[in-house]
Amino acid sequence: MKKVNRTYIMGIVFILFSLWVIWQTTMIPEKLVSNEPGPKLFPFISAFGMILMAVLSMVFDGKQEKKENEAGAAPYLDAAGWKRMALIMIESILFCAAMNWIGFWITSMIGMMVFIMTLRAGKKINLVFAIVLSVFLGSLCYFGFTKGFNIPLPKGEIWDLLGIRML
Amino acid sequence: MASYLSALAILFEPVNFIMMYLCSLVGCVLGAIPGLSGGLGITLILPMTFALNANLSFAMLVGMYVGGVSGSFIAAVLVGIPGSAASIGTCYDGYPMTQKGKAARALTIGITGSFIGTLVSIIVATLCSTFIADIALLLGPWEYFSLCLMAITMVIGLSNGSIFKGLLAAFFGLWLSTVGADMVTNQLRFTFKNTNLYGGINVICLLMGTFALQQVATSYAKGNLDMPEVDAGSLKGFGLTVKDFMDNMKTIIVSLLIGLWVGFLPGMGSGISNLIAYGQAKKMSKHPEEFGTGVDAGVWATEVANNAGVGGAIIPMIALGIPGDATTVLLMSAMTIHGLQAGPMFIKTNPVLANLIFATVLVSAILIFVTELLTKRWFPLLLKAPYHYLYSAILMICFLGAYSASTSMFSVYLVLVFGAVGVLMEFFKMPSTPLMLAFILGSKIESYFRMGCSYARGDMTSFLTRPISLIFLLIAVYSVVGPLISKLRKSRKGN
Repeated sequence: MKKVNRTYIMGIVFILFSLWVIWQTTMIPEKLVSNEPGPKLFPFISAFGMILMAVLSMVFDGKQEKKENEAGAAPYLDAAGWKRMALIMIESILFCAAMNWIGFWITSMIGMMVFIMTLRAGKKINLVFAIVLSVFLGSLCYFGFTKGFNIPLPKGEIWDLLGIRML
Repeated sequence: MASYLSALAILFEPVNFIMMYLCSLVGCVLGAIPGLSGGLGITLILPMTFALNANLSFAMLVGMYVGGVSGSFIAAVLVGIPGSAASIGTCYDGYPMTQKGKAARALTIGITGSFIGTLVSIIVATLCSTFIADIALLLGPWEYFSLCLMAITMVIGLSNGSIFKGLLAAFFGLWLSTVGADMVTNQLRFTFKNTNLYGGINVICLLMGTFALQQVATSYAKGNLDMPEVDAGSLKGFGLTVKDFMDNMKTIIVSLLIGLWVGFLPGMGSGISNLIAYGQAKKMSKHPEEFGTGVDAGVWATEVANNAGVGGAIIPMIALGIPGDATTVLLMSAMTIHGLQAGPMFIKTNPVLANLIFATVLVSAILIFVTELLTKRWFPLLLKAPYHYLYSAILMICFLGAYSASTSMFSVYLVLVFGAVGVLMEFFKMPSTPLMLAFILGSKIESYFRMGCSYARGDMTSFLTRPISLIFLLIAVYSVVGPLISKLRKSRKGN
């Protein structure tokens, strides 16, 4: 199977991103303050800098990577690795979404249990211990922050909609 | 001297001493947890100090500050996730040392380096505060701009891998720092009418995403699921010999100077000094290629420099009334609460309180050093926890830390975005240090550049005509061009 040249992909991604930055920067309204370069200068510098470096990297590092690929360098991840990556990222997204909807306390307990089950990667675990740990850590964080430090954490929008008052 | 002794006598009053020690320990724990910091601890106890007298208040606040910086290396060494921006550089060699089974050694270096950094810097601050602050007044925005630029290019020039990818990451970091309301004209940039972005991107979100979430995701995806072994034998005793100190003496002294210097420059702090010191240690080393694989000098450099920033940051706060870093802003708020005005007259009008601040840093540093040495045998117990338990807890705490940084769900979503960015950067073999450094320094670079232009009535050549600024700029250019030329020479020789 032909290996992808990651540097070329990186270059293209950053060039497209920089073009978007330039387009967005042109839309920043100019408010003139005398003797002052204005708010557009640094976004422009960043964008043109990214384009220049992306091109230089594609020219020099891209060649190097091509040689390494031809010499049989190992891929970054295999198919199973990418699946695992997708799984943990999706779980993280769901954790954050749930944090907003059902609140931090319940999410932290369930979410931690889900993370443990995923990250154990087939290893045997003591289910009772995992549940106790998830409940304990989730509760400790929630009550430690809300009651101890007086920092409010999300209580969950769904409970408000249902008219249930959470702790 | 008399006022210093009076300050010590106040500090050793039982209530003051116990509260300072407790706050130091809490700061240390907060500093060790990724996403939390001593700054958070200060924020939490700040309202309490309304009701307390100024002496007790500052003993508690300063103790928390010192503890927060001192504890941040623990997570960086043991799990490769920095407790705060102050220990980003510690991850690069501290964690590889842990992976090689040298966790106890890395911890001892971290503990000792932190102690040396704080101790020497506070002695310098106590003795030369007014004198050093006078020097800072000679520098203008031109010099600060050039210095910030030099800091970034030095780190890029010395980072492993492609220099172009390092610069690309730095420009990306610079762009990220422009998100939010422009500080001069108040024009909104890249905010898309989202009020959460008006104040810019929170550094905690970037740190948690690109370091913590990225690391958990990539190690799981790559199947690196075993926690490193700990060398139980070296957990006994001090663990370092005189030879260890002598071998690293040059690194320790240079890192101290860097930490002090960067710390006392307004607006900069330990988050920057540790990376510059790491780059400098690598540059001075006879074997720079070994950096990143677990060398002692890498941990010495970062831990001495970030803690030296404590004394450094207190100098402009006490002598000029200018905060040296984000945490000293909070300390200055506490001064305001107690009706005090930091600045050139502070030492003269409040000699005992000024010396109490210096003495608290000194005593806290000693107490933390002794406590950490006595308890270090329990730190690696963290590594005995199976991967799936430890990393699950880290993930949860990261999201919690991001939320508590701004009490907004938006920060939590940003962690996800930067986690994905971190994974992509790892895939593209882009270094994350230049991104972090450019992001932290970006807003300062921009404001100093625009201030410089404005003060010089639009004349941009003023950056080149001021000698100190020119020297910094030349070093900045050489830091990037130098490694490129040597690389070119090597490849020609190879051909």
